[in-house]
Amino acid sequence: MNAQLDNPPETAILEIAPETVKLAIKDLNFFYSGKQALFDINVSFAANGVTALIGPSGCGKSTLLRVLNRMYGLYPGQKATGQVLLDGEDVLSPRVNVAALRARIGMVFQKPTPFPMSIYDNVAYGVRLYETLSKADMAIRVEDSLRRAALWDEVKDKLQQSGLGLSGGQQQRLCVARGIAVKPEVLLLDEPASALDPISTARLEETIAELKADYTIVIVTHNMGQAARLSDHTGFMYLGKLIEFGETEQLFTNPVTSRARDYITGRFG
Amino acid sequence: MTATADAPMAAAAAPPRTARGTTLDRAFEILCFSAATLLLTALAGLVVSLVIGGWPALSKFGFGFFISAEWDPVNEVYGAAGAVAGTVISAALALLFALPLAFGIAIFLVELCPPILRRTIGTAVELLAGIPSIVYGMWGLFVFAPWFAQHIQIPLMASAPPGSLMEKLVAGIPNGAGIFTASVILAIMILPFIAATLRELLNTIPATVRESAYGLGSTTFEVITKVSLPYIRTGAIGAVMLGLGRALGETMAVTFVIGNAHGFPTSLFAPGSTIASTIANEFTEATHELHIAALISLGLVLFVLTFAVLALARMLIGRQQTL
Amino acid sequence: MSMANAAPRLSRRLGEGVFLAACWVATGIALVALTTILWSLLTKGVGGLDLNVFTKSTPAPGSEGGLLNAILGSLMMCTLAMIGASLVGFLAGTWLSEFARDSHYGKVVRFLNDVLLSAPSILVGLFVYEILVAPLKGFSGFAGAVALGLIAAPVITRTTEDVLRLQPTALREASVALGAPVWHTIFAVIWKSARSGMLTGALLAFARISGETAPLLFTALNNQFLSLNMTKPMANLPVVIANFALTAYDDWRRLAWTAALLITATVLVVTMLARTFLRGSARS
Repeated sequence: MNAQLDNPPETAILEIAPETVKLAIKDLNFFYSGKQALFDINVSFAANGVTALIGPSGCGKSTLLRVLNRMYGLYPGQKATGQVLLDGEDVLSPRVNVAALRARIGMVFQKPTPFPMSIYDNVAYGVRLYETLSKADMAIRVEDSLRRAALWDEVKDKLQQSGLGLSGGQQQRLCVARGIAVKPEVLLLDEPASALDPISTARLEETIAELKADYTIVIVTHNMGQAARLSDHTGFMYLGKLIEFGETEQLFTNPVTSRARDYITGRFG
Repeated sequence: MTATADAPMAAAAAPPRTARGTTLDRAFEILCFSAATLLLTALAGLVVSLVIGGWPALSKFGFGFFISAEWDPVNEVYGAAGAVAGTVISAALALLFALPLAFGIAIFLVELCPPILRRTIGTAVELLAGIPSIVYGMWGLFVFAPWFAQHIQIPLMASAPPGSLMEKLVAGIPNGAGIFTASVILAIMILPFIAATLRELLNTIPATVRESAYGLGSTTFEVITKVSLPYIRTGAIGAVMLGLGRALGETMAVTFVIGNAHGFPTSLFAPGSTIASTIANEFTEATHELHIAALISLGLVLFVLTFAVLALARMLIGRQQTL
Repeated sequence: MSMANAAPRLSRRLGEGVFLAACWVATGIALVALTTILWSLLTKGVGGLDLNVFTKSTPAPGSEGGLLNAILGSLMMCTLAMIGASLVGFLAGTWLSEFARDSHYGKVVRFLNDVLLSAPSILVGLFVYEILVAPLKGFSGFAGAVALGLIAAPVITRTTEDVLRLQPTALREASVALGAPVWHTIFAVIWKSARSGMLTGALLAFARISGETAPLLFTALNNQFLSLNMTKPMANLPVVIANFALTAYDDWRRLAWTAALLITATVLVVTMLARTFLRGSARS
């Protein structure tokens, strides 16, 4: 029962039931300009659930997120080894069409990134890349996406206005709408609330909670309360290693590893 | 296992992913790369064409081309030294005139100017940079030179004691056209460029640095000389070199007012020539192959001069300055 | 008492006064120079500004004429130059900003572009003479346009790179994360976001080449008659000014002043336009 008190393990990774796995990471190592940023990551994320990644700044949690949709491929000198299996297929394989992959794995960034175009066109941008919809179908898709992102009521009368004119919180929800409009299977959220005020953060969290029924969500956050509120599973990372991964409630109330315990009880980080 | 290359992974509930034109990525990059390489090729081509075009003259006169000041199209004897001297002297004088003014303007705009006037005066200085070279030439020849001759040159010549150094310096045809006038016009032309760069550099100094100096009771003069100028030193030297580079290669304005005489300039007010003015004046009229080659060789010398100055300027100024 | 002690010594105050006065004087000199140049242009140029200027070609001395051929020639060559230079400049600037970044080749191109940007324009004229005029045995409007384009392209390249680099990385990643190919991201998001800055660069390049004389002297040469044939020598405002100003004919000189007024007004208006444009876009 209290085995961890005497001799806590270095790492503790919960294995989730194989039939629920959406994303499986196997022996993942990541390097940039000769330096290793991730070490032997082995973990699986469940479908239609929220997985949170927490840890001190520079622990590699954002890096791990950016490996999952191969965002690192934009930059020469960055390299990943190992496997990231999305429904059993290796995302890191050179044969994969990266653009098509990224359409299956959506991403929302720290700061809102509305494109310099109308609200409507922002949402339709990704859809137009892969689908040819009639005007009516596109309007339905845009409305549906904005509704899911809980933004529709605020923008329905000004869809043709620039997305840059929205408030920060609205812009971030616009980015969520834009991300889900392309019907991805996985949503990666990279500290999506870090630039938002508390009220906007609360609204964004509601949105995320509603989305998890349909998407596999991985969220990186430095706000432990947010991780505890939103996620089903939580991973704790430190110095490029995944130290502990488990059910959120268990990890926050009764962490197994001493590092996770120190971090969660506020002894460092 | 007949996985097709570049095929999107099978999508479950999602719409079919037939990525539009991902193969265009490579094509677009190559297109952009070609455009960049075209610019590099243009510069390389420029150098090569100057070397090839100038070769007949360079091979005939050898090193003597650079040290002889004799330029005689009738007898087909060509030396670059006179034009080089004219170029360097006029540009150096222009820098001498422009520098204090440019510093004054930059300091005025950053430290002294009432805020409501700042934009207007700043724009006015920018406009000075926009006036075409040829307009400076016309204004210099028809407005400035006569005024200069009447109000400065002639009184100076009259008052210079016979036999003095002064008399030598101011000797010349009292029509206002000469090295000195060219330098003044050049100074006005490069002034706004140097002032604009210095202004930008002064604006990069953190407010706290200046404020703490003022807080110690320093006067504006002391803040500028002891804090601001040392802070921007490298960039400022770069700005000055950039101005020098422009002055060296300036063509039309100089051609109009320098008087166009070959050989070493004998006094400040004597007519002279620069490399650019010699080319502009003679190139279309040159019929002999050797004359054309000599002019192109002059161009090569000008390129080397400006390249050296510009390279130094860019090195010093970093990437702070834009245009 | 203590206030008097704290005040700067007389010599310091005097030095400060002289220094401040010198800064005022320096600015005054620049403003006087600008004013007298513009004043000369107006007083000497406006007189000749009549309908003939826009309807008749350059005259023989003593007869009536205008600048129609030179205006059209300048417009044609500048337009052609701008089309080519914008194409090359936008793409090359995009390569430097989006693809080259810190590669060695990128650094070389960036540096040499800066050299080309500041190279004396008369050398560009010589270069185009060597590669186009001498081999084809003839001056042409086309050669003039190439020379002007070679001067405009580095300006556009430089400004394009500068404004593209100002676009946030997150904007690129956001588009790519939606599955957009890189080229589409650049077209639809990055260029769109940077368009006012890119346009400003093009306007400044246009302002620069519309007054350039030296590169046209031995490429386009001049043409006394109205000609729209780009394979033949072509009239243009700057060379007309250079030729007419240095003659003894009063009516030619008057036309030269009028032409100088026209190009200066064009350049200044375009420059102002570009500046306000940039300021407007920076605010939004």
